[in-house]
Amino acid sequence: MSVRQYELIYIVPPDSTEEAIAEVHTQVATVVERFGATIERTENWGRRRLAYEINRQREGVYVLEVINGPGAMTAELDRRLRVLDAVIRHLIVRVDEELSVAERAKANRKAAMVARRTKRGLPPEPTEDEKRRREGEDDDMEGGLESGFRAGGDR
Amino acid sequence: MNGDFDNRGGRGGRGAGGDKDKDKEKGGGRRTFFRRRRVCKFCVEKIDYIGYRDVKLLAPFIPERGKIQPRRISGVCATHQRALQKAIKRARQLALIPYVTE
Repeated sequence: MSVRQYELIYIVPPDSTEEAIAEVHTQVATVVERFGATIERTENWGRRRLAYEINRQREGVYVLEVINGPGAMTAELDRRLRVLDAVIRHLIVRVDEELSVAERAKANRKAAMVARRTKRGLPPEPTEDEKRRREGEDDDMEGGLESGFRAGGDR
Repeated sequence: MNGDFDNRGGRGGRGAGGDKDKDKEKGGGRRTFFRRRRVCKFCVEKIDYIGYRDVKLLAPFIPERGKIQPRRISGVCATHQRALQKAIKRARQLALIPYVTE
């Protein structure tokens, strides 16, 4: 059984009580536990405006759960959430693959930078001095543009 | 039948010829004067993961109407446009972004 990471987001109506939200959470937690999975973290985004009406509601309370567990769990979660009246919308997304791809891209870019720099006989990491100089260059460019505009205005 | 076909072919040919002439005369100028070099925002800013929860990141690629901005306008590279498209579609399901706006 492979453990995968999923993000579950559900929206409950804005007028639901704290208890109602906690109830949905425990429902999710029991399913998750049954599959031997774990909830990594839970985020309550609070009330947000919906981009469009859902069940005549213009607002909703968003809750995010990051879950590590097997794929079979998502089917069960999906089924349960669809039945729950307290949840007006939910979405389960598998994220581990996408995040690992992003991680790898980052690592590759860093490795390429280190290789490039060592080839040129520089220390692998940009020094503080270089970073400062790069920022300085940007400032100069902006400054140059501004002074250019001013010169034009004077004429 | 045959006449139709010839006619169509002729029209198409003439049209294409005209375009080519325009390209020769104005195209060069247009390219140098108006066409700004478009670069992929995600490549430039080194954004690896286009998350569906990040409305601020997605918003610039959704014009007023709510449609996904085509690549030829935004200049996003193919890889990132694919990721962007997925993220936008997920965000729509969660009512973070509208499907359509009137």
